[in-house]
Amino acid sequence: MNNKIRPAEKIYMAIIFLFMYAPIVTLIVLSFNKSKSRAKWGGFTFQWYLNLVHDSEVLNAMANTLIIALIATIVSTLIGTAASVALTGMKRRTRSLIMGVTNIPMINADIVTGISLMLLFKILHFDAGFVTVLIAHITFNIPYVMLSVLPRMKTISPAVYEAALDLGAEPFFAFRKTILPDLTPAIISGALMAFTMSIDDFIITYFTKGSGFDTLSTKIYSEVKRGIRPEIYALSAIIFVVVLVLLLLSDRMKVRGSKIADRARNAGNVKLKRIGIAVAISAASIAIILMALAFGGVFTKKSTQVFVYNAGEYIDPEVIELFQEETGIEVVYDEFESNEIMYAKVAADGAAYDILCPSDYMIAKLIDNDMLMKLDWSAIPNAKKYIGEQYYQSATAFDPANEYAVPYCWGTVGILYNKEMVQEPVTSWNVLWDPKYRGEILMQDSIRDAFMVALARRGYSINSTDPAEIDTATQDLIEQAPLVQAYVIDQVRDKMIGDEAALGVIYSGEAIYTKRENENLEYVIPDEGSNVWIDGWCVTREARNADNALKWIDFLCRPEIALMNFEYITYSTPNIAAQEMIEDEDIRNSKVAFPDDETLSRCDTYISLGEEGDRLYNEAWKKVKSAN
Amino acid sequence: MSKMFRDRRKAGAVASPYFAWALIFILVPLAMILWYGLTDDSGAFTLVHIAAIAQPEHMKALLLALELAIISTVICFLLAYPLGMILAKNKMSSAGIITTIFILPMWMNFLLRTFSWMTLLENHGVINGVLEFLHLPTIHVINTPGAIVIGMVYNFLPFMIMPIYNSLAKIDENVINAARDLGANSVQTFLRVTLPLTVPGIISGVTMVFIPALTTFAISTMLGGSKILLIGNVIEQEFTLTYDWHLGSGLSIVLMIFIVVNMIVSAISEKKDE
Repeated sequence: MNNKIRPAEKIYMAIIFLFMYAPIVTLIVLSFNKSKSRAKWGGFTFQWYLNLVHDSEVLNAMANTLIIALIATIVSTLIGTAASVALTGMKRRTRSLIMGVTNIPMINADIVTGISLMLLFKILHFDAGFVTVLIAHITFNIPYVMLSVLPRMKTISPAVYEAALDLGAEPFFAFRKTILPDLTPAIISGALMAFTMSIDDFIITYFTKGSGFDTLSTKIYSEVKRGIRPEIYALSAIIFVVVLVLLLLSDRMKVRGSKIADRARNAGNVKLKRIGIAVAISAASIAIILMALAFGGVFTKKSTQVFVYNAGEYIDPEVIELFQEETGIEVVYDEFESNEIMYAKVAADGAAYDILCPSDYMIAKLIDNDMLMKLDWSAIPNAKKYIGEQYYQSATAFDPANEYAVPYCWGTVGILYNKEMVQEPVTSWNVLWDPKYRGEILMQDSIRDAFMVALARRGYSINSTDPAEIDTATQDLIEQAPLVQAYVIDQVRDKMIGDEAALGVIYSGEAIYTKRENENLEYVIPDEGSNVWIDGWCVTREARNADNALKWIDFLCRPEIALMNFEYITYSTPNIAAQEMIEDEDIRNSKVAFPDDETLSRCDTYISLGEEGDRLYNEAWKKVKSAN
Repeated sequence: MSKMFRDRRKAGAVASPYFAWALIFILVPLAMILWYGLTDDSGAFTLVHIAAIAQPEHMKALLLALELAIISTVICFLLAYPLGMILAKNKMSSAGIITTIFILPMWMNFLLRTFSWMTLLENHGVINGVLEFLHLPTIHVINTPGAIVIGMVYNFLPFMIMPIYNSLAKIDENVINAARDLGANSVQTFLRVTLPLTVPGIISGVTMVFIPALTTFAISTMLGGSKILLIGNVIEQEFTLTYDWHLGSGLSIVLMIFIVVNMIVSAISEKKDE
């Protein structure tokens, strides 16, 4: 056979290579991008690499990922190798039955494996977190080890082993001396595969992790929706380069190692090579553990904590730092993408979080289902002192006696459009149904907001539970679907900044930020009216750290903290004292941030739809989503 | 076969940690899915959650997922086989390197790599930037099924390449040479010797690509702009969004049927192989 690679083959390999590595190169390039938005190249910077040193969230996630992968690999390698060795000594039928079971986690859909484990942990009342994720990883890693070890085991002749036994060796000693050396390469490749799968897993971790625990995968997934922080690109670039270097080194070492081994064999010392491998593996393990300890991921649990569950990008991270410094309370901070996702999580485990920041209609639903705790207002003096009375007045729509929620942010829902791409004046929701803008429209990937647009356009109540009206709205949304570029939540921001779309449904709080980044963007509340919403802090009924949760609320109600927060997230604050402290006159008097009464009179708050209403909307939404 | 253990009980003892693990963390959880999928809120037996697959929106999501998974699997196969042949041909020089090349990207997180495709494929993304620069027509593929297929092929291609390469590399060159000596031309040799010998590798490659492609929800969410609902998205949303565990489990059971079919097919082919 001709062993030379022909030019055509070289080109083919190059194309596949390009395909495999183009995204990786892109990520590495992005890690040097000065602009936070991935849609823009803002110049070259090392900033994200420097930031990484202080970014405890990302580093913790990284440490968790490594520790889970390492422990899962070791345990699954031990269990899997033992099982493989034992299996070869069993009846054929037993063996194939067991292999069938073994293959389940590998062949089964990740989503089914993840969900099945989640159900198990839930029934057993395991606190989801480090341990559950670890168990899940061991479970799906064992098959990879066995798949590598078992075929090799089948080819090993037991003659030497038996001879050793006959000569009086202990079984384990005989195994170690005769079988194990031949098995080692298969064990190592199985372990390596397991480690890789563990590092790369997302779906199973996603379903088995609890609150406040993240691996790199789940961290990234929560950030994908609103644009990934560049620090993560930097971290990935570092990991990639480190692994690349390690692999190249090990390849060179292997070549040299085999030479040494040859020489050693000649000298009658076969052990040398094996010792080399053992040293390399244990060195790598120790390095990983030390790294993890240094980042302090898993093992540092302070006694005083508060578990906060907030919407994405909805606080200035420095505020969290300040709170921690001042009170000594550790904040375990998680973010949700939508109220519905938040609800599902809290319904599944009521004690997962101490404090939530849902929107109006969801607060009503939580109250209805007895999932919130009445607030002790004497413990949060700032809440009554600085938050405007009119906001408490509005809050009675969902919290009739002002017992459960402290308003945090408020705003409207409107259309953000690009003046360069939309020439006509935008005054109506109808523009989102204009075929001219096919593929240029971004809708909210949130049930209530999507239906609000359709209902308001028809002049119906945005809280309609009339099946006929909902049906009309559903038909309208289905009709609109081909024009829609994507259903997104926080991504509207990045995409509009990057000129990816002409029109997007967005919350008023994003208007100031997006205009700052791209001056062609304009925010408008359509004439038909819209939604005015209030998000508020609520303490869960099963909260384990209710006192700390109240301290959190009171801290956030301080005018200077509220102001700091407002300037970072640009969502309108109900904190009157903070409003007065805003220095930028344009913003203080901004109609977008603080709409006038005339505009507000056109807007309605959402109210809870009740179980039947929720069901109607959910089913209608599924129809819309599958209409494409 | 070996007589590693003269005493079966001893073999059982060595394997027992694994048996316990498999029972508690593989079989019991599956039973839980069955239980949730086959009961309603009151705990009574029902088949409505299984039958729910027939609802038009669920059926559509399943069929679309099947379609995209099949397309992706075929593309992966067509890309991987020639590559496997090229790699197997010069196995001496690069045995370690190729696995390295295709496993290496997996160390960069799967979601990040997929996310990166967004940046590449967007209307004003990197690829269109290059095309515009070259005065070529631009592509509009983001948020379409096409983008999802690209994401699937990209993410699952290594799982096709590895088993195919392994089975190709295992073929004894003498067998090929014998076929040639006996007068078969290269096409005949390929169709009647090489291809049949690599069937086990192909089957395991197809399984490793088809199943994750059929059930993914992350790729479709990211590259389909949440516009395109696959069966994986439906199930995920039942658990995370609408909080209906019974329906989610019921639909998962339907998915498992495909997996069982797949297992039977590979079991049969394995038997043939032996």
